[in-house]
Amino acid sequence: MRLDLLQGTLDMLILKSLSRGPMHGYGIAGWLQRTTDDALAVEEGSLYPALHRMMRRGWLAAQWGVSENNRRAKYYTLTADGRRQLRLETSTWEAFIVAVAKVLRASDASAPSAAPGAA
Amino acid sequence: MAWIPDRYRELRSLLRGERVDDDVAEELAAHLAMRMEENVSKGMSPEDARAEAARRFGDVSRWQRETRDIDLGHVRESRRVELRDALARESRQALRALARSPAFTVIAVVTLALGIGATTAIWTMLETVVLRPLPYAGAARLVSVRHPAEVPGTGPSKWGMSAAGYFLFARENRTLEDLGAYTADYATLVTDGEAERVRLGRITHSVLGILGARPAVGRLIGEADDVPGAEPVAMLGWNVWQRRYGGDPGVVGRVVETSGGPVEIVGVTARGFTLPTPSPFESAGDLAGHYVDLWVPLRLDPTARAVNSHQYAGVGRLRDGASAEAAQRDLQSLTDRLPELFPNAYSQGFIDEYRFRMGVEPLRDEVLGERIVRTLWVLLGAVGVVLLIACANVANLFLVRAEARRREVAVRSALGASRLQLVAHHLVESMLVALVAGALGVGIGVALLRALLAIAPSDLPRLAEVGVHWTAVALGLALAVVAGIVFALYPALRQIDTEALREGSRGLSASPRQRAVRSGLVVTQMALALVLLAAAGLMARSFGALRAVRPGLDPAGVLTFTVALPGTKYRTMEEAAAFHRELQARLAALPGVRAVGATTGLPLRDMGVGCAVVFREGRPYEPDEEAPCVYVPRVTPGYFAALGIPVQGRAPEWRDLDAGTGAVVVTRALADRLWPGEDAIGKGMNSGGSGPGEAGHYRVVGVVPALRAAGLDKAPAEVVFYPVVRIPGTWLWGPVTGPTYVVRTALDDPTTITGAVRRAVAELDPQVPIANVTTMERVVARSMSRVSFIMLLLGVASAIAMLLSAVGIYGVISYLVGQRRGEIGVRIALGATTSRVAGMIVGQSLRLALAGIAIGLVGALAGTRILRSLLFEVSPTDPAVLLAVAALLVALAALASFAPARRAARVDPVEALRGD
Repeated sequence: MRLDLLQGTLDMLILKSLSRGPMHGYGIAGWLQRTTDDALAVEEGSLYPALHRMMRRGWLAAQWGVSENNRRAKYYTLTADGRRQLRLETSTWEAFIVAVAKVLRASDASAPSAAPGAA
Repeated sequence: MAWIPDRYRELRSLLRGERVDDDVAEELAAHLAMRMEENVSKGMSPEDARAEAARRFGDVSRWQRETRDIDLGHVRESRRVELRDALARESRQALRALARSPAFTVIAVVTLALGIGATTAIWTMLETVVLRPLPYAGAARLVSVRHPAEVPGTGPSKWGMSAAGYFLFARENRTLEDLGAYTADYATLVTDGEAERVRLGRITHSVLGILGARPAVGRLIGEADDVPGAEPVAMLGWNVWQRRYGGDPGVVGRVVETSGGPVEIVGVTARGFTLPTPSPFESAGDLAGHYVDLWVPLRLDPTARAVNSHQYAGVGRLRDGASAEAAQRDLQSLTDRLPELFPNAYSQGFIDEYRFRMGVEPLRDEVLGERIVRTLWVLLGAVGVVLLIACANVANLFLVRAEARRREVAVRSALGASRLQLVAHHLVESMLVALVAGALGVGIGVALLRALLAIAPSDLPRLAEVGVHWTAVALGLALAVVAGIVFALYPALRQIDTEALREGSRGLSASPRQRAVRSGLVVTQMALALVLLAAAGLMARSFGALRAVRPGLDPAGVLTFTVALPGTKYRTMEEAAAFHRELQARLAALPGVRAVGATTGLPLRDMGVGCAVVFREGRPYEPDEEAPCVYVPRVTPGYFAALGIPVQGRAPEWRDLDAGTGAVVVTRALADRLWPGEDAIGKGMNSGGSGPGEAGHYRVVGVVPALRAAGLDKAPAEVVFYPVVRIPGTWLWGPVTGPTYVVRTALDDPTTITGAVRRAVAELDPQVPIANVTTMERVVARSMSRVSFIMLLLGVASAIAMLLSAVGIYGVISYLVGQRRGEIGVRIALGATTSRVAGMIVGQSLRLALAGIAIGLVGALAGTRILRSLLFEVSPTDPAVLLAVAALLVALAALASFAPARRAARVDPVEALRGD
């Protein structure tokens, strides 16, 4: 089964993939696919509006270059702002996960009368 | 992979616009191609590989569109930012550059501001008076209805409708929705025991409907109010309602005292509503005089006997589809029937001799008049020329400046400044100058407009509507912007060449072509200045000719004012005359007063419209001879002495009134017409004809040699001065309740006795207000105000034009001297005398001036023609004027080149030859 992406997480994933070095859009798509074992249901085309939006915000810079197999491709790289944004989003995300996990655990532990025998 | 992330370069590639689309398309296509290649390498067939790639990618066109939109937004925003930054940068630079040459900046700004200010002021007047529709709903369908006629000896004039004519036209016409009649007059309004002279509009009720009047409070005067015998009602004008009643709506229903008796106020007209008559009230220049204070119904009687008396201005509203021309034909056919319908009042002989006819024209044309429109257009033309000259000067300044900075520009250009950047640089600088000048110009325009309104001719209509409007501000700034762009572009486009760097330093001097451009500008200025000077000169000659006309009276030391007797108190001619006799006696006793008189019509102010027929005793007019229709002011004894009008024979005295001798005075022009070749003194005449009860005759006791009563530019008028009380068996108009007093004093400034005069009047009757206090000299001056107004404005405009041209020629000659320093040094070294060198420079200036004068003369011969109708006793191509202004400009050119010539003569050859 493929997971739908949560709102706003695509930007974070792109920033993360670019933190390893300049990449073109296809490279980012491939890296995401490989690292998640193709678990995310992302239309590859949706990367591009996200990339260009982040470029406009100054998180990314772009430059036409030549790919490994000699094809002209646009390479994106993180700017300093982009790195800062990635750190910010990562910590927000982690805090979010922790908070959600706490909630989920709490609801398991404190279900006093709903299912008495289910421990 | 080694590359530098370069956001700026990326941005610039995006700035190039349509590349955005290709860019995104290529990026997405590359993605799809790489996915396909990978799929193929995994062993898929090309078709499957393509399908798989497309499936993973999603809707290609959607993603492409979304991405492109993001980029385009980015580009637009970047452009805005770039532009703003560039503008700020260039403005700072330009400000610094302008501050470095304050002389240039100040001269350019002031010159341009003068031109813009003058143009803005005149344009505002023209726009309000001529171009804006009249302030009535559906003004385009309003027509004025008058009777053009030509009184022999006084030229064409326009008469109003008669009462009988009004009813005939209103009933029988087929082209008008409605027709109204009105007159403008004065009345006394008494509020809380305090009498005030107010402007009275006497109207048929239809006038209000035709002009689209709305009541501010209460109701309009209606049909039922406008019949003989109806309860007397009135409406107040907005201004008097505010001034006297504090805008109290409770005024409706109140009964107020007026000179026409008590009237009930039924309503107040809306703000700004008034009659369309041009300057209906005598006191022009008093802007409030434009507005009617009190409206009363005319209450004309349709069954009254028809009288050939034309006092009602007509205004009509055209039916849908009817033109003014159609209405003219329609009403003319009715006018043709007047002798047949009213044989007692109209004869065919009258109609033929006076060329009495119908004149229907758009109300706007009637209100404005052809001469006013022409005057304003002439003035706009004049200030437009001044603006052109100012622009030529500023353009010249910018050229000089650009030349001086040619090397700097060349360096910048070589360093990679784009053509656009260089143009922008010039543009920002000239825009700064132009916009500051524009703002200053609007200020000058406003001040100028105020001054113009104060001196505007008395017959200039719609003056009260003139005010500073946003269009004037917009015009001033628009002129500035256009000027700024032009100043920037010419030098900028010429300057962008890197050639300058390769040339030697001497090569950086102006090219012959550039010199020609600058000389051309100066020649143009001279030509324009000559045209303006010629126009001003012609007006000055007209003014001089007018001033040389002897009016036939002596205005020095004469004070005039009007009084308004309440008609309810002074019901008869005798009662009114007794008041005047007593007041004259009291005024004559004031210190410094020499003579006092009163009249219903002051020469040069009130005479010019309307006339009455006179008949001579014992000699009826032949069938082919028409009775003359002449001015018929009524005067009290003392009048002739007070106005300084010489009388052959004698002037009437109070004992003539006591004895009922009916003594009258006529002018020589009338005497020669009524009794050619005979002595007029002792002859009898009246204005009622010789019907039953009108058998009495007035007796001529004196003759006035020549009186220009209707205007200095008119022939001596035919006038009979009737007494204020009639003699038995004759007909005269009612009691003299609103006369103008003339008080001859021995004072330099007769207005100093105004206070004493007011007290004397108040002591005699506190209910009698006095108004329009002025001197006779001012009345005479005002009667020349049109000519003096145009003369003054053209004079100011041409003086500015002359000054600017002098500055222009001075600038060019100074510049040329600078350019020719080397050559001049050689000449001096070779033995040229100082005077020879100076003469050469002056000669150069004169050549430019003469070229300009030659062109200007051609322009003046063609252009001053449009002044013809505004001139008095001078031809538009008057050789003396043209010669004089040409000589003036030659002298000016010589003068302007004097300083540069002296500089040239002082050139030290050694220094000059050593080079720069």
